[in-house]
Amino acid sequence: MRQTTSHNLLKNHLWLIAPAALMVGIFFLYPLCFSLYSAITLDSGEFTLTHLNKAFELYSKDILFTIIIVLISVAILAVLSITIAALITLSPFRSLSKILGFLYRLPLFIPFIVTAQMMRSFLAKNGLMNNAFVASGLLTPMDTVSFLGWSGIIITFVWKQLAFSTLLISGAMAALDDSQIRAARNLGASRLRILFQIILPQITPTLGVAMVLSIVTMMSVLSVPLMIGTGSPTMMTADMAFRINSYGDYHVANALGLVSYCICAGLAWFYLRQNLKEKGAN
Amino acid sequence: MAHLHIKNLQAGYGKKLILDNINLTVEQGEMIALLGPSGCGKTTLLNALCGFVPVSHGEIFAGNRAVSQLPAEKRNITMVFQSYALWPHMTVAQNIGYGLKVQKAKRADIDARVAELLRIVKLDGLDHEKVTALSGGQRQRVALARALAIRPDVLVLDEPLSNLDAKVRLSVRHEIKALQKQLGFTSLIVTHDQEEALVMADRIAVLNQGKIEQIGTPEEIYHHPSTPFVADFMGAENHIEWPTHDDAFCLNLSNHADQLDIYFRSESAVLSAHPTSENADFNAGLTISGQVEQSVFFGNNYQISVRCGKHTIQVDHDQNLPEHTPATLRIPIDALHVFAKKEKHSDHQKTNIVSAKSMRMNHVC
Ligand SMILES: Nc1ncnc2c1ncn2[C@@H]1O[C@H](COP(=O)(O)OP(=O)(O)OP(=O)(O)O)[C@@H](O)[C@H]1O
Ligand SMILES: [Mg+2]
Repeated sequence: MRQTTSHNLLKNHLWLIAPAALMVGIFFLYPLCFSLYSAITLDSGEFTLTHLNKAFELYSKDILFTIIIVLISVAILAVLSITIAALITLSPFRSLSKILGFLYRLPLFIPFIVTAQMMRSFLAKNGLMNNAFVASGLLTPMDTVSFLGWSGIIITFVWKQLAFSTLLISGAMAALDDSQIRAARNLGASRLRILFQIILPQITPTLGVAMVLSIVTMMSVLSVPLMIGTGSPTMMTADMAFRINSYGDYHVANALGLVSYCICAGLAWFYLRQNLKEKGAN
Repeated sequence: MAHLHIKNLQAGYGKKLILDNINLTVEQGEMIALLGPSGCGKTTLLNALCGFVPVSHGEIFAGNRAVSQLPAEKRNITMVFQSYALWPHMTVAQNIGYGLKVQKAKRADIDARVAELLRIVKLDGLDHEKVTALSGGQRQRVALARALAIRPDVLVLDEPLSNLDAKVRLSVRHEIKALQKQLGFTSLIVTHDQEEALVMADRIAVLNQGKIEQIGTPEEIYHHPSTPFVADFMGAENHIEWPTHDDAFCLNLSNHADQLDIYFRSESAVLSAHPTSENADFNAGLTISGQVEQSVFFGNNYQISVRCGKHTIQVDHDQNLPEHTPATLRIPIDALHVFAKKEKHSDHQKTNIVSAKSMRMNHVC
């Protein structure tokens, strides 16, 4: 009896979720499936691996470059955002941590393309940073180096994602019961020890989420490699844009998309497995 | 273990002063209960002792060490928290042994000490259990063992029993007291439950709005409260302001010229439903006549509200009484806590304590 009513209810109100479902279907699922399909079929619709082969042949260096850039960025990101979040939570100087708590959020409101433009004028050989060094007498104009290129990409990624991941991590730290930290302190533990032995083990799930989401974001940014990269090697997004803009070659672009999708999925799987292992241990 | 000596302590949050001029000495091996209403600054005092709230004035001595300016990790004063504050990612043994690990003790020593403590708090065999798998009472015992593991100079407990249900609370209360006697640790326990304080503590300090109102043995605090606040807080909930200008009240004390605050407990009032039949054999300090307003069953007796003019008096009685029964209450003279009221015009004059016994008897009806 009850089941039938709930069944009816579902039937009658299905149209309520229809718009949302339709949106997801049209704007997300269909393009995703189509792009996967296009990566492994010929124009005639037959299955093929030639696009993938071609993608690897032409761009394996860039794929590797992308992975390395993203991994380095995410490692630096983890260290920096944990440091900032820990300073905010554990610092005995309240006013300092308040200022820090405000400052780190700023990049959150700046789009990637603006960030890239900012970094371009900041990191270039005659950019803001080098000019400042020269003006302060630390460097001569001869000694300046341009940071555009791989290091610039990493700096930009880290700068932009820092706000987001620090937000997540400091949120998780703030959610810990303050008395847990106090208990450790009055047993004689230093702040550094508390960070590593009390706080970090409890926030690893959040740290994982922040890092996986950051990786996915970095993998999908086009403006940064285009504006800050030096051309070769470059990141996969730039290659995809190039295939489409110069050759109208959607197949290889989609094949590259498939590869980056697999990289993200692989990392997510690694993270999930790690997470499950910990849950199992509990 | 060492004695704890608090001298002229002043502490607060930012500019907000919470504790003012606190003086308290906890002797070695003594347990003092800090008793007070919510928000009076009990937790703040413990936090100031542990170094979580800065001390703006005064000094704290743990043994002979002045600790008020040391950081929390150097004070050797440990706290048992109301919320247990166990670390959920560690096992029971890891939680208990953490303080020793921080002190870089040897593995074998840590294991031995942890085993010893587990035995003391009766949790043998649970070493490798995750703390999240324990009951509230077990968690509180782990927290206690963890705080004791490093042999602190002073142990402070912040309402350790308030998260437990009534039955477990009684047994853990008993265990903490027994442990305290057995191990002889110097401790300060916070509670807002007067019964808990009476049962557990060697001495009680009653705190009100950041000041200590009275320090004394449980008997002193219970029978001879030194201020109206302490009398009220220790359960003398009936309060009469004298003079009442009401014939229903008859006070058998001297100095009726004074304005008085009179407090007494519901169990010390004797109720008789037929005023004329049994006349007072004993010296009633206060006699009140009124009408029964309500009668509530309390298990071993009835609590009866008696209405007299604008006052409602609570009395314990062994029988149920119907509403509007005329009733006479007699309160023996030594069960009355009488305080001379502060004169309105001279604020500097301190509240005088008027001991009911020391007064000359003088019938004034
Ligand atoms: N972190 C804080 N910042 C500012 N004021 C605080 C803070 N913590 C407590 N207070 C104030 O200090 C006063 C005393 O608080 P405290 O926690 O010491 O009370 P308590 O006696 O422990 O009460 P309870 O029995 O409810 O635990 C309260 O008025 C409270 O508003
Ligand atoms: Mg409190």
